[in-house]
Amino acid sequence: MENALRVTNLSTEIQLSRSTVHPVGNVDLAIDEGETLGLVGESGSGKTLLALSILGLLPNGGHITGGSIRFNGRELVGLSEPDLRRIRGNDIAMIFQDSLSSLNPTKSIGEQVAEPVRLHRGASRREALARAVEVLDMVGLPHPKEHLGDFPHQLSGGMRQRVMIAIALSCEPRVLLADEPTTALDVTIQAQILRLLDDLEQRLGMATLLVTHDMGVVAGRAKRINVMYAGRIVESAPTEELFRAMRHPYTQALLGSIPRLEQDARLPLLSIPGMPPDLTELPSGCRFAARCRYATDQCRAQEPPLTGDDPNHVFSCWNPVDGPVSAQAPVPAPTPARPNIAVVQEARQPAPPADGSSPLLEVVDVVREYPVTSGAILKRQVSSVKAVSNISLDVRAGESFGLVGESGCGKTSLGKLIVGIEQPDHGHIRLNGREVFRLRGGALKRARRDLQMMFQDPYGSLDPRMRVNAILREPMQIQGIGSGREQDERVRTLLDQVGLPLNALERYPHEFSGGQRQRIALARALMLEPKVMVADEPVSALDVSIRSQVLNLMKRLQAEHQMASIVISHDLAVVKYLADRIGVMYLGKIVEVGAAEDVYRRPAHPYTDGLIKTIPVPDPWIERKKTDVAVHGELPSATDPPSGCRFRTRCPRAQAICAEAEPPLQRFGLNHEASCHFPLRQPEPGHQAASATG
Amino acid sequence: MTENAGSTSTAHASTALPGGLYGSPLDGPEGGEVQVISSGWRLAVREFADNRLAVVGLAVLLFFLAFCFLGPLVYHGNATNADVLNANLPPSGAHLLGTDEQGFDELANIMVGGQSAFEIGFFASAVAIVVGTLYGAVAGLVGGFVDGVMMRFVDVLLAIPFLFIVLVLSTKYTGTVVSISLVLGCFSWLIPSRLVRGEVLSLRTRDFVLAARVMGSSRTRIVYRHLIPNALSVTIVNVTFLIADSILVLSYLGFLGFGLQFPATSWGDMLGGAQAYMSNGYWWLVYPVGACLVVVVLAFNLVGDALRDALDVRLRRR
Amino acid sequence: MVGYIIRRLGIAVIVVIGVAAVTFAMLHYVFPSPAYAALGPKASHVAVLAWDKQHGYDRPVLTQFLSYLGNLVHLDFGYSYKLNQSVTALFKENAGRSAYLTGAALVLSLAIAIPLGIAQAVKRNSPLDYTMTAWNFALYSMPSFFLGLILIQIFGLDLGILPVGVSDQITTTWQAITHPKQMLLPIVTLTAINVASFSRYMRSSALDNLAMDYIRLARAKGLSERVVLTRHLLRNACLPMITLVGLSIPTLLAGNLLIEALFNYQGLGLLFYNALQAEDYAVLLAYTIVGAILTVLGNLIADIAIAVADPRVRLD
Repeated sequence: MENALRVTNLSTEIQLSRSTVHPVGNVDLAIDEGETLGLVGESGSGKTLLALSILGLLPNGGHITGGSIRFNGRELVGLSEPDLRRIRGNDIAMIFQDSLSSLNPTKSIGEQVAEPVRLHRGASRREALARAVEVLDMVGLPHPKEHLGDFPHQLSGGMRQRVMIAIALSCEPRVLLADEPTTALDVTIQAQILRLLDDLEQRLGMATLLVTHDMGVVAGRAKRINVMYAGRIVESAPTEELFRAMRHPYTQALLGSIPRLEQDARLPLLSIPGMPPDLTELPSGCRFAARCRYATDQCRAQEPPLTGDDPNHVFSCWNPVDGPVSAQAPVPAPTPARPNIAVVQEARQPAPPADGSSPLLEVVDVVREYPVTSGAILKRQVSSVKAVSNISLDVRAGESFGLVGESGCGKTSLGKLIVGIEQPDHGHIRLNGREVFRLRGGALKRARRDLQMMFQDPYGSLDPRMRVNAILREPMQIQGIGSGREQDERVRTLLDQVGLPLNALERYPHEFSGGQRQRIALARALMLEPKVMVADEPVSALDVSIRSQVLNLMKRLQAEHQMASIVISHDLAVVKYLADRIGVMYLGKIVEVGAAEDVYRRPAHPYTDGLIKTIPVPDPWIERKKTDVAVHGELPSATDPPSGCRFRTRCPRAQAICAEAEPPLQRFGLNHEASCHFPLRQPEPGHQAASATG
Repeated sequence: MTENAGSTSTAHASTALPGGLYGSPLDGPEGGEVQVISSGWRLAVREFADNRLAVVGLAVLLFFLAFCFLGPLVYHGNATNADVLNANLPPSGAHLLGTDEQGFDELANIMVGGQSAFEIGFFASAVAIVVGTLYGAVAGLVGGFVDGVMMRFVDVLLAIPFLFIVLVLSTKYTGTVVSISLVLGCFSWLIPSRLVRGEVLSLRTRDFVLAARVMGSSRTRIVYRHLIPNALSVTIVNVTFLIADSILVLSYLGFLGFGLQFPATSWGDMLGGAQAYMSNGYWWLVYPVGACLVVVVLAFNLVGDALRDALDVRLRRR
Repeated sequence: MVGYIIRRLGIAVIVVIGVAAVTFAMLHYVFPSPAYAALGPKASHVAVLAWDKQHGYDRPVLTQFLSYLGNLVHLDFGYSYKLNQSVTALFKENAGRSAYLTGAALVLSLAIAIPLGIAQAVKRNSPLDYTMTAWNFALYSMPSFFLGLILIQIFGLDLGILPVGVSDQITTTWQAITHPKQMLLPIVTLTAINVASFSRYMRSSALDNLAMDYIRLARAKGLSERVVLTRHLLRNACLPMITLVGLSIPTLLAGNLLIEALFNYQGLGLLFYNALQAEDYAVLLAYTIVGAILTVLGNLIADIAIAVADPRVRLD
């Protein structure tokens, strides 16, 4: 049987002004009809360019240097441009990651969906628009006829992605190239879109190439997976076999480095040291050798070919492994040689409330709303974004608290309130019983030593005009701590702790990679030996293989410095790995809070349950069993949140009372609370807590 | 006191994995070596130097500076004593570019004109940049109502056609280098102020400024340590374009007869006077001057363009 | 949308009044009164004072301004003592000719610059791109009158196929339109200078847009490059041009002034130039204020045009 798409030995190169990049080298892949092939790799692996090569859409200066691409037996390499155009959007279609920038901002979505139909089918405007309505309906856009005249910026992210899928499907292609189709979306919306893609694939029988960096996304829906690293396919196998018995060290390390919900958070993550190679200067041997723990001289000298006893499972490695890490060696128990782990374990017992010690950080009934203004000449406030609505929480010394929620839930705003970048409209924030942000002048300045922050964007959080030395000294200079020599010493100490070389001190931020910048940001946050550190999305902007490095580092340093930390992330797995206790936020409210394991294993709130269910897990057996989309619908507007329980519009258990009354906070075990009228567990009888205290 | 981040966990050497499960098998810091791209300013200079046109532009400017200011020491042409008997002579050995209608040596005139062009260009831009930067920075920092009022004021002044008002004001003041520079500077600060304000506004919300606040930095310190250095690159690029524009406007003034008074002269003045003699074929009165004018302005524009690209690269390198 | 327009209009009115005030103040400072223009430079001090009193130039500046504003509303721009005509009449005479010159140059330069900029962006770093960039750079750095002088030299003096200046015979706008040979050099000069800056901007805007994802998606639909450029790129790349043209009004006026002076074309610019030399206060004041009003109007129209063209900008 002819493959729908077969790529053989494909290589491309891109001529830049000063160098040549080889993003794709000798790549093979094949997809059959009705089948999904997963293409997994990090940024810089060449996976997007591979997909673009299939359509002949390489950027300026790029061209295919060798190999063949066969679509239903027809050779695409060397095809004339008009012939290629007849195939694009017609037989082979592509969807991209960022729906906002991929849609023409000045054209209505109806026109954009109708365009390929008019082009490839010669339909009249009316016929094409009718087909557009049909396709938009198929992708789940509600009331498509009314939205035909809408513009992209008027739709939500999930809706826009559906529009992009509609454009791709409008001419019933045989092959669909999906480049990171859900990466830019919230987790709950991501689940909906992935479900949609599954449905469509079954219904239309397309061959799909699913390109992504997220192993969880491919686990559930790809029949085969190709793993790409630095332009090469390093392993190709059926999905189950890849997860169960991978052979290439990169695949092994990648899967081992992803924090999983069900793993033991006491153990460090497997980490892949170093960084992906520069594609303009490729090493002569195996491209992964520099970061591989099994590398030998042969690996560094000679590039391994794709081999394998089973033609279905091939890999390129001289020293292949046999399955995931845990299958080989028992997980070593922590030994006394690492005393800090004992410290970590002790700190993880949440102090029982009866012992009388007060929490280090108290957030009491905090409210923050951002005004929305409008008006002709004079601006009036017409409404407000209710970012944080009556939130209370406690954090104890040395404890790690995780705030998890999707975009717009207010977690970043809460983080800003905690470190005093913004002031709450109502409520109090107390450190050691003192309302530090009511202080002024010198007292406030000294108090700030105890509350530091690590920002999300590694590129924006460091002053591009300051050397690392100055950046790291700045906190001490501002606070007037230590002599010049003492400051120097501390800078060097922390630089070493975060794993950066001494010569980094003389460099500027732009000379570092994203992961390295986050290390600098972490070092800076630790300079003042704060009692509380807030980390806002610390690893979201980093590549997957780098994340585990930074996560391990954060965990170790938090224990060594005996600091309390608040980790804010949309990624529940990251939060669960780093935090002892977790608070789940939705639309400005904390809906559930409790010990991490407890919240994960026995969630009480439907939203928490939905989050846990929708997060793609890199485990095909778990993923295949997922049936429902646990959280439907779109995120409501934050300026006008639903009455009563804010989650009710998307909750499968919602009933009339949910709209009328705000759900009460109920207790579900030691330090585990949630507010829901119809929780998933039996609450403890007795008193209801007045607020979410730990 | 602390564990070395790069060490391997020796306690687990017994496991099947070399280097242990948790540590790095590599020498050196776990974070990986730092790729040396090059320090900030060196990078900018390298980018600039790569742009060959810009280097040529810079060379041209230096040449003209030497030519106009040092030239008269070498070439003793008559630019001050009217010598009507020798008027309108074509180029010759005695007068390399001929003489104008008052008998002045044309080449000497060009040197003198060049001096005024550079002087006024630099002086007017200096005034404009200093005033504009301060104004824009204050507006951006203070924000709110004050910012609104300040910027409305700028909008009002910007609505007045620049050339018109400069011409009108020139009728009142005799044409000296200082007076013209001031008049030009008085209306050239408007656009830089807008640019600086925009830059300051965007900088204020950047994470590294927020980080400084979290560390307890006072507002003044943030301004001096973070905002001004980062806003400077905008101003540096602006200065070169301002100089180019000032020289052009000066030429307009001169051409229309409102330029510099005797004994100073400007290239625009020379062209204005020469127009009448074009039909006589006195090409040396028109083209050498015009060429110098175009070349100098072009050089400034090239340098400015290259500076903008070079400074952008520094920020964009990821 | 309507609210947006009303808000912009309101701000524009305030700005115009502000501009008129500032301009008035500045001109008043330079020319306190046109008495010398009316009576001659040798008039006695006493005669000047009497004249001032008679014509209201001894009143406080604010009062003078307010009465000037009042007159403006009735389209009374004052009286030129040098030319012995009401300024309004002078404007009426000359406005058409200036409008034709500048308008023709503007339309031509946009018609050239937009496709040129896009072509340069599409064929980036090709010989065409380099040549045009060099060419534009040179033109951009050249004073407009110098370009005019060169063209006069080549076509007027050396080749003799075009007149050196616009002849005095061209007295009405219609005559200007029907005598293209006369108008060719001035229009070409203005156009060339405008094209230089417009196409630079257009090239940059087109380059930015070409790198954007929606162009990639359009190509992925199978559209031909030509269709991608015309149906997708063109509109988005032209959006900044709308703002640019709106902001270029002062430059256009300046160009107009210089070209008219150079070619001796009887328009508002030449009127202003003569008024400068004659120190004809009323004309200077009037034209500067008119120029300012045109600038504000230009910005307003640009704002509204952007809101119409770009759906993302349609604020309340």
